[in-house]
Amino acid sequence: MGRQRRGAQLLGLALIMVLVAAACGGSSKNNAASGSSGGSNASSSAAVPKGGTLIIGAEQEPDCMDWIGSCSGSSWGYWMAAVQTMPRAFDVVRDDQGNYSYKASIVLKGEPKLETTPKQKITYEIADNAVWNDNQPITSTDFKYTWDQIANGTDVYDKTGYKDIESVDDSNPKVAVVTFKNNYQDWKGLFTGNYGIFPSHLLQGKDRDAAMKDGYKFSAGPWIIDSWTKTDNITLVPNPNFFGTKPSLDKVIFKFQPDTSSEFTSFKSAQVSMIYPQPQLDAVDQINAGLPNSQKVITTQTGNFEALWLNQGKAPFDDEAVRKAVGFAIDRGAIVQRLFGGLGVKDPLQFVNAPVVQQYVDPQAFAQYKLDKSQVDSLLTGDGYAKGSDGIYAKGGQKLSFTVRTTAGNKRRELTQQVLQQQLKDAGIDMQIDNAKAADLFGTILPLGDFQAAIYANVLTTLGPSICNIACASNASPIGQKGGNNYQRTNIPELDTVLHKMDGELDDSALQSEGKQAQDLAASHMINLPIDPLPNILLWSNKVVGPVGDNGILGPFFNMNLWGVTS
Amino acid sequence: MLTYAARRVLYSIPVILVASFLLFAAVRATFDPTARLAQSRDPQVQQRERERLGLTDPILVQYGDWLKGAVHGDLGQSSASREDVSAMISRSMGNTLQLIVIGALVSAVIAIGIGVYSAVRQYSALDYVFTGLSYIGVAMPPFWFGLLAIEFFVVQHRWLLSVGLHTGDSTSFDLDYVKHLVLPVATLCVQIIASWSRYERASMLDALSADYVRTARAKGVPRRKVILKHALRNALIPFVTVVALDFGALFGGLIITENIFAIGGMGRLFYNAILVGDVYVVQAWMIIVAVFIIMFNLLADLIYGVLDPRIRLS
Repeated sequence: MGRQRRGAQLLGLALIMVLVAAACGGSSKNNAASGSSGGSNASSSAAVPKGGTLIIGAEQEPDCMDWIGSCSGSSWGYWMAAVQTMPRAFDVVRDDQGNYSYKASIVLKGEPKLETTPKQKITYEIADNAVWNDNQPITSTDFKYTWDQIANGTDVYDKTGYKDIESVDDSNPKVAVVTFKNNYQDWKGLFTGNYGIFPSHLLQGKDRDAAMKDGYKFSAGPWIIDSWTKTDNITLVPNPNFFGTKPSLDKVIFKFQPDTSSEFTSFKSAQVSMIYPQPQLDAVDQINAGLPNSQKVITTQTGNFEALWLNQGKAPFDDEAVRKAVGFAIDRGAIVQRLFGGLGVKDPLQFVNAPVVQQYVDPQAFAQYKLDKSQVDSLLTGDGYAKGSDGIYAKGGQKLSFTVRTTAGNKRRELTQQVLQQQLKDAGIDMQIDNAKAADLFGTILPLGDFQAAIYANVLTTLGPSICNIACASNASPIGQKGGNNYQRTNIPELDTVLHKMDGELDDSALQSEGKQAQDLAASHMINLPIDPLPNILLWSNKVVGPVGDNGILGPFFNMNLWGVTS
Repeated sequence: MLTYAARRVLYSIPVILVASFLLFAAVRATFDPTARLAQSRDPQVQQRERERLGLTDPILVQYGDWLKGAVHGDLGQSSASREDVSAMISRSMGNTLQLIVIGALVSAVIAIGIGVYSAVRQYSALDYVFTGLSYIGVAMPPFWFGLLAIEFFVVQHRWLLSVGLHTGDSTSFDLDYVKHLVLPVATLCVQIIASWSRYERASMLDALSADYVRTARAKGVPRRKVILKHALRNALIPFVTVVALDFGALFGGLIITENIFAIGGMGRLFYNAILVGDVYVVQAWMIIVAVFIIMFNLLADLIYGVLDPRIRLS
């Protein structure tokens, strides 16, 4: 199944991390550049011809196109349609060091003005030439309408940040003044990531969901949705009134192909000219087998990461010594080498966050956790465990045994489980496997805390680096109750303090320092074990020209207006 | 004949009701339509939604409400996309129908041809060849055949196409459509032809050894007429049953074939719905497929009556 995010009502304060369901290696709705800047890993930039049709294989079809509604959790839907049509306050760009940051988009005249006293207040000045495809200007009322729909609507995908806004002043149509109730650190992610800005002149007083869910014809991006033939394709055509660089291509068609092997065969046979497959084992094999007349970008600077999540509300992981012992019993380097070595990705992730916010973490926070059986023995014997005749540690007649759950059918994660099982057994810890289909895992098992350990991916949807939503005690429910995304029930008061501070931090250098401190605390308490920075893979035919490349936050199609195809 | 048909139709109604209730209850016991709300911080959200959807009512009341909607064409809304389930099913059914109608027709014609030839020329060299091929066909997994066919016909030679039913956003029924349709239909047909041809061969052999055929031959009826009019007509009776049952089951879609060839049919709809726990789609899908199977059983009975007057008279 595809890369999907399902049903997450994300309730964190700054860092929006969502669970990736299905057999997904995970990705997310991302921030979008309205066809302007923000490229990364660009690799092909021959002269771009005018005209032509580009057909792209898409692994997933969106459930709907009402980007505010809870049905809008599809990463592919966001990349294919939202990024191409919805105007945004900020683009996300990547510098030469690989650090991502926000940059005011062409919708704005320049960087918005930030005031911090008496309350956090942002003043957005809208560019004079910023218009919808019907030539109506983008106005401050559009900002106000967007805020109102998200903060006060029902069945909303995620209200994070918007619910912290006190008011939006639209008295000047070209200046939106947003005042917050409390400081909100990731304010640049608002009117940017996930949603963008909605056209009030078209939607005010109407049923937004009904108007948008099956596709819509408005746009202030480089493309317009020409058609959505469900189960088959989404077709985009250029927005003739786009106020940035207009597309060179006549048409882009996203052809839905949920099966990875058929995706590769269609790419090899030139039925599609570009694919963005999940980093599953068979995809790695196919790439290593060779794909003639094509180019690729494989990046670990993504918004995704996978970890072994340890439920601290349940035995045995309510015991910090056991959590640390597990950390020393696993050779994460060997796992990453086995999973992604063929792609050149060999190093495990050493922090509990996505690589795109690397400047806000201690990049070696978890490096201490590498295979060391003497540390395992020391920690466990110090905790009252003794090795039994079967080679497994036990305490009070109870074997040190736990079950790891993940999405059934995801070959990569199932292989990870098998390797973990063997490594843990060698270190004297028994591990069992009990997998479930994605809907059950993410809909019931994780929210209820009905697991001891689990493997899944988290996805960052904005550049907010706090992990409060997945690690603060305020975002956890008691075992057996649902609520909050801190599924592993982490409850470390000193970590909470730092993360809450990060959520309202408006000083970037202080934020960096707090982010490092948070990761060090997470590692010292071993709240869970990061495994891999889930790499993104983009493959395209030589006939596609232009600055093609992947961007860990923006997704692969953010600058399609600059691409072309040769005949 | 009309009485016979009416009787068979009436018999089918309680079967459909019982089957649909059992499936409804089974799906409701397995899936929770409000599971997606599990991650909400408001613990009351899920309960409110359960009440709104009538999930707190007794199962018979829930079934009654669903049935009332279903007979008016309202099968509920997808919990994932909020689209009308009836629209999703009719769209998927359209794609699946294109595959199975063409596939079943092609398969029936070829299977009958092979079956008749193999029976008439029993133990001939070609009969052995067909027998061997049919065993291979039955044993061959469709996905394996499909992938091999794609590799040879699409990747290596680029004679045919393998993504959907049309190139790009085209919707026309032209050569492009035919090039898309050949491989999925062939993938569907391989196993069906193999098994149907064995049925037809066996029933044709039975017919050819029957007394009325010997009598016809003794009376000097031309061989061609004996085979086609006397033997084949009777040999088609068990064949029709098998075809009708298989055809009804095919309405459920071809999960593997539709996924390999990226065709948005009933099989892919079901697969996706299961993956995301889209209870209203799964429920409607199962009941509709059950109804189709029952209807094709009914059709088989009616065709039986046409082919063999003794059955309808009894």
